[in-house]
Formats: sequence, structure tokens, C-alpha cells
Amino acid sequence: MEERELVEYFRAQIREDPDVASAVAAIRSLLEFLKRDQSESCLVFRESVQGYEMRMLTNACASLGETILGLRENQTKAIQRLEETDSSVAVSSGGELFLRFISLTSLEHPDLSQCKNVMIERGELFLKKISLSRGKVGKLCHTFIKDGAKILTHSSSRVVLKVLENAAADNKRFTVYVTESQPDSAGKLMAQKLHNLNIPVTVVLDAAVGYIMEKVDLVIVGAEGVVESGGVINKIGTYQMAVCSKAHNKPFYVVAESFKFVRLYPLNQQDVPDRFKYKADILKTVKDLNQEHPMIDYTPPSLITLLFTDLGVLTPSAVSDELIKLYL
Amino acid sequence: EIHEPEEVSVWFREGSSCCQETLARNQRFTETPVNMPGADKETDLSERIESFLSELKRCGSGAGSLRGSAETARETTALLRRITAQARWGNAGELMEIIRKEGRRMTAAQPSETTVGNMIRRVLKIIREEYARGSSEETDQQESLHKLLTSGGSSEDNFRQHFTHLKANVIEAINELLTELEGTTDNISMQALEHIHSNEVIMTIGRSRTVEAFLKDAARKRKFHVIVAECAPFCQGHEMATSLCKEDIETTVIPDAAIFAVMSRVNKVIIGTQTVLANGGLRAVNGTHTLALAAKHHSTPLIVCAPMFKLSPQFPNEEDTFHKFVSPHEVLPFTEGEILSKVNAHCPVFDYVPPELITLFISNIGGNAPSYIYRLMSELYHPEDHEL
Repeated sequence: MEERELVEYFRAQIREDPDVASAVAAIRSLLEFLKRDQSESCLVFRESVQGYEMRMLTNACASLGETILGLRENQTKAIQRLEETDSSVAVSSGGELFLRFISLTSLEHPDLSQCKNVMIERGELFLKKISLSRGKVGKLCHTFIKDGAKILTHSSSRVVLKVLENAAADNKRFTVYVTESQPDSAGKLMAQKLHNLNIPVTVVLDAAVGYIMEKVDLVIVGAEGVVESGGVINKIGTYQMAVCSKAHNKPFYVVAESFKFVRLYPLNQQDVPDRFKYKADILKTVKDLNQEHPMIDYTPPSLITLLFTDLGVLTPSAVSDELIKLYL
Repeated sequence: EIHEPEEVSVWFREGSSCCQETLARNQRFTETPVNMPGADKETDLSERIESFLSELKRCGSGAGSLRGSAETARETTALLRRITAQARWGNAGELMEIIRKEGRRMTAAQPSETTVGNMIRRVLKIIREEYARGSSEETDQQESLHKLLTSGGSSEDNFRQHFTHLKANVIEAINELLTELEGTTDNISMQALEHIHSNEVIMTIGRSRTVEAFLKDAARKRKFHVIVAECAPFCQGHEMATSLCKEDIETTVIPDAAIFAVMSRVNKVIIGTQTVLANGGLRAVNGTHTLALAAKHHSTPLIVCAPMFKLSPQFPNEEDTFHKFVSPHEVLPFTEGEILSKVNAHCPVFDYVPPELITLFISNIGGNAPSYIYRLMSELYHPEDHEL
């Protein structure tokens, strides 16, 4: 499968189902790529951080014509290609997870064809599980919304929408304030969707967060990525909202699926890699990034009260534990 | 006369409901010995469960409960052991279903007594572990990213397999749990000398048996001063002060309003709690939040002495089950007459203390930071048991 076809497949996934998370679409595309992969040559392994692991693999299957190495190489290239298309943290974390998934499977089954079959089978299962994760998060979080609550949210998040949908279905009465979220006015889209669910909603300016904070009872936001420290990366303006809610002592909840956990540890806003901050086409064309507006920001864990994930309700300190379980 | 077992149990239940109305605060209710000839094991078991439930229902009056939470935990565990031994079950799944059913009834009888629910969840985790050991599976059955990626096929295990030694193993494990419960207060008191130094001023609130034992243990070797906030309207602080005085500890009793004023002279605040919540917060006796805020303002460390059986997987979001209100007679006596029709009087029993205000948790397994509570929880309980 060519890289061009991969990108087309990815774009088609997002077009057909606008509700699907971009990481899920990325993983689906990678799985499709895996299925059609024809790697047959024994590649020279490159000196990389994963050098040791690769050395082990090459030794184990040196006699075979096809290698997992080739598979892994192709997958890494595919992930890079997808990241160029859609530079969101979610695609990166989904891709990293998928790569990890290959490594884990390949360690168990050194034989390539058997390995491939097991991978495809597990990949399908994995996809099925993570497509249920949004529902799980919604079920967990809606009990935290009390009757008569006023909720503030930021920009447009499908997970937050699911949570509010569940709460509304539970016959709870609440009102929602959504920030406009410039520069793409995603907040207006969210307001429209909430309006369709018969939830009373008001759109406020991004600058009005401080003004509106005294009226609200709680803040719920989604996340594009959850980092190792327990902080989140989300649409620009989230950090502001978190600082305001801390000042007013309002609970700040983040809802995210577990595949958004990413192996980054930013200490401040500058530490977040540029490839996430700006859109893919801007990164390619613009010379001086200082003149551009970043699309995301980082919210440190000290400002977050609780994280709702499909692995359960977590305190920010519990996130690194979950990541360690996976990556070590 | 020899009563039929069924008749006896009916009389027994009616008797207990009469007692409920006229029971004075300190009257203990004793179990009827069931050594009847021909008494069925099942009726014996269900009678014990009924008597336990009725005791739970009665214990809910005011903060002065008839028994400490340690006793409740011990009795719950003993009852669960009895259920395991005497109830009819074929495999682990059935046993868990029975325990869950009884557990739901017990927690419904007294929702504020969270130790009952905690013990039930512990026993359920024990059953899962023993089952896993029996079928030599992976003992890590919790959801994790790793599990999502590596599990091949359905991991739905209905616990349907039958093992001959499961019953014995589970009962042995429950016995270990009981031994642990008996040693909790001693384990906590043993750590006292590390935290309390000579000539310190310690503040506490209300009456906690754990803190009492903690302070008494330190008093054997160190000389220090204790200030007790009386914790109106039940004024349990007075009993605490009397008890501490008996061990020659210099004690001062202050009203709750004076907490902030006195706080500047206090070195440490040591409190007990009713429940430790899943986010590291507390559900403690009313007045504790004030104490915690005053301590934070003066940067005084707040130490919570709580045994592990008080750790509950609940979050503080459920407002209708979180608070308990008792008769406002304590706040505004009925003798006040006319004013009663014009005002609303509330008498809440509990307070919520957020985790940011707490410095350290001292439990029978050692000292932990509030941010570490999630880890302790995952070791004690299984996520599927959070909802009984």
C-alpha cells in the first residue's frame, strides 16, 4: 500500500464518520496498511534508540526472508506520513500506541506470517474496544453533574458532548456555557450540537471566561492528549480556563479516552513540540513560527481536579502509573 | 415450651423493632443465642444477617455511634466469613453474587457507615485473587492500556470453574484479613514516636479512638501538650480530653470558634476521620474543614490517622448520600418554642476536606501522601466492585 493511498484512506475515514476520534481513524488506517503490507526484504537495521530490540528481532529471524523489521519500518514511515497530514497530538499518540502494540506482539511470535495474523486479529479487537471507550467515559462522568448545575466547557469536544448527552438522558437539568474558541469558532459548532439535544446553551467570548467563572459550578473539557505528568494538551484557551477555575475554587474536570495518553513531559508551554502546536501546512510553508498563533496549549496537573478515562476516574498523579504500565 | 425455629425468629424480629423506638443511647442489643435443637444452618445465617442489619440501622443516631468503625469492620468481616462457610454455593461466581446481594442490603441499611461496604469489597477482591490463583491466571485483572493492547480474545471470565479448595482458601484469607483488622490500631500507634516530638503542641478535634491510641503511645516516652477542639454540638472533644488526661497528657479544651485563634501556636494537627475518599479527600466529623483551612493558612502540617479499612472507592460527588443530618434538637432545642416555626435548623454530621489541605495519611501500612491514595485503592479493591 502506497503512502498516498494511506493518506487517502485516513481522510476518507474522517469524512465518512465525522464523529470518530482522529486517533481511531489513524489506527484503522495503520491496520489497513498492515493488512496490505508486502514487506519481503531483509532491511538493514538502523542505529536507533530501539536498536537493541531490533537486534534481538533480526537475530531471531535472520533466517527468514521476511522480517518484522520491515513491517516496523513501514509502519513508522506510515505514522510519520499521517502526522504530516493531521498534526494533532491524538494521531501521534494513536500511532505510538499502535507501534507499541506491534512490538509487544512481535516479541511473542517471532514467525512473521503468524505474527501478522495475530496482529491483525488483535488490531481488530483493539479497535472494537477503543470505539467503546467514549461511551464508558460518558457513563462515568455524568454522575458528577448535579441537577441544576451550570457547566462551562471549551471549544468542541465529542467526548464532552457524549457526557452531556448522557446527563441529559438521565433527566438532569443543567445549562452549558461554551467559549467561542477562536480562531476556528469551534465553540459555535458545539453550541449547535447541544442545541439539537435540547440543552440550554450560551456561547461566550474567549475573553469572558473570567467574567463567567463565578456563575458556573464546574468546568469540563476534553483533551487532545494527556501527558505523563497528568497534565493535558488541548485547544488554546484551556490553560486560561484552568487558572481561572483554580482561582475561583471550581472543579476542573478533563474527559479523555485512554488512547490519548502520550509519552511527553512538558514542563512549560515552550516544551510542547512545534509539530503539535501548529497545523501541518503552516509548519511546511511558514519560515518564522514566532509570528504564528499556536493551536494548542498545555495545562499542568496542579490545576486539574480529576480525569475521566475509560480506565476509570483518575487523579492526575495516577496517569503516569498507567503510562508506566504500558511502556515499561 | 420449645418454639419452632421459624416462630422464634419472628418474635426476635418484632422484639427488635419495638426496641428501636424506645432505645436509649447506651443500651446495647445482644444477639439471641441460637443453639436450638434442629435449627437450620440457613435460618441461623439469615438471622445473624438480620440482627446485624438491625444493629446497623439503629447505630445511625448522631455522631456518637454505639461502636467504633473498627468493630463494625470486624463484625462485617466475621459475618462474611460465616456466609462463605455456611451459604450454599458451587463456584466463585455464585459466592460473589451472594456476597454482593447481602452487601447491597447492608449498605442500604446504613449508607453513612462506609466500612461495611469497604469490607465487602475487600472480601470480593480476596475471592477473585483466590480464584485466579486456583486457575493460575494472571492476577492483574484491572483495566490498563497494556491489557487493552495485549489481550487476545475475550477476557470475560465468569468465575464458573469449580475448585475444591476454594472455600478453605477464601476462609483462610478472610482470617488473615481479620488478624490485620485487629492489629490496625497498634500498627498506627507504633508510628507515633516518629511524628510527635517533645514539647510540641498538637491539635485535634472531636474524639477518634485511633488518634487517642496514637497520642497515648507517644506520651509514654515524650512530653507534649494537646489542644482538643470540642466539636459541637455532640462535644465528643470533652470525652477525648478526659481520656487523655488519665494518661497524664496536658490537655486543653477549646470551643470550635477558637480554632483559628489558637492555630498560630500549634505545631501539628492530628485528626481521625470517618472515611477516606478515592480522591484523597476526607469525610470527617463536622468542623474538620475549618480546622484544615486554619492549618493551611498557618502552614501547619495536617496528619490524618486512618486505618486502611476506612479507604472507600467513593468520590465526593454524590451529594444525596454524602451528608447525614441528625435531629436539629442539638442545635436549637425544642424548648425554644416560638422561634422554631420561623427558622430552619440543620445539624450535619460530616464535613468534606479536599485533598490539597492534607499533608500525610498515617495508616497501618505506613505513611502516604494524599496523591498516592489511588494506588492503595487499586491494591485493595477491584474496579468492578466499586459499584456493588
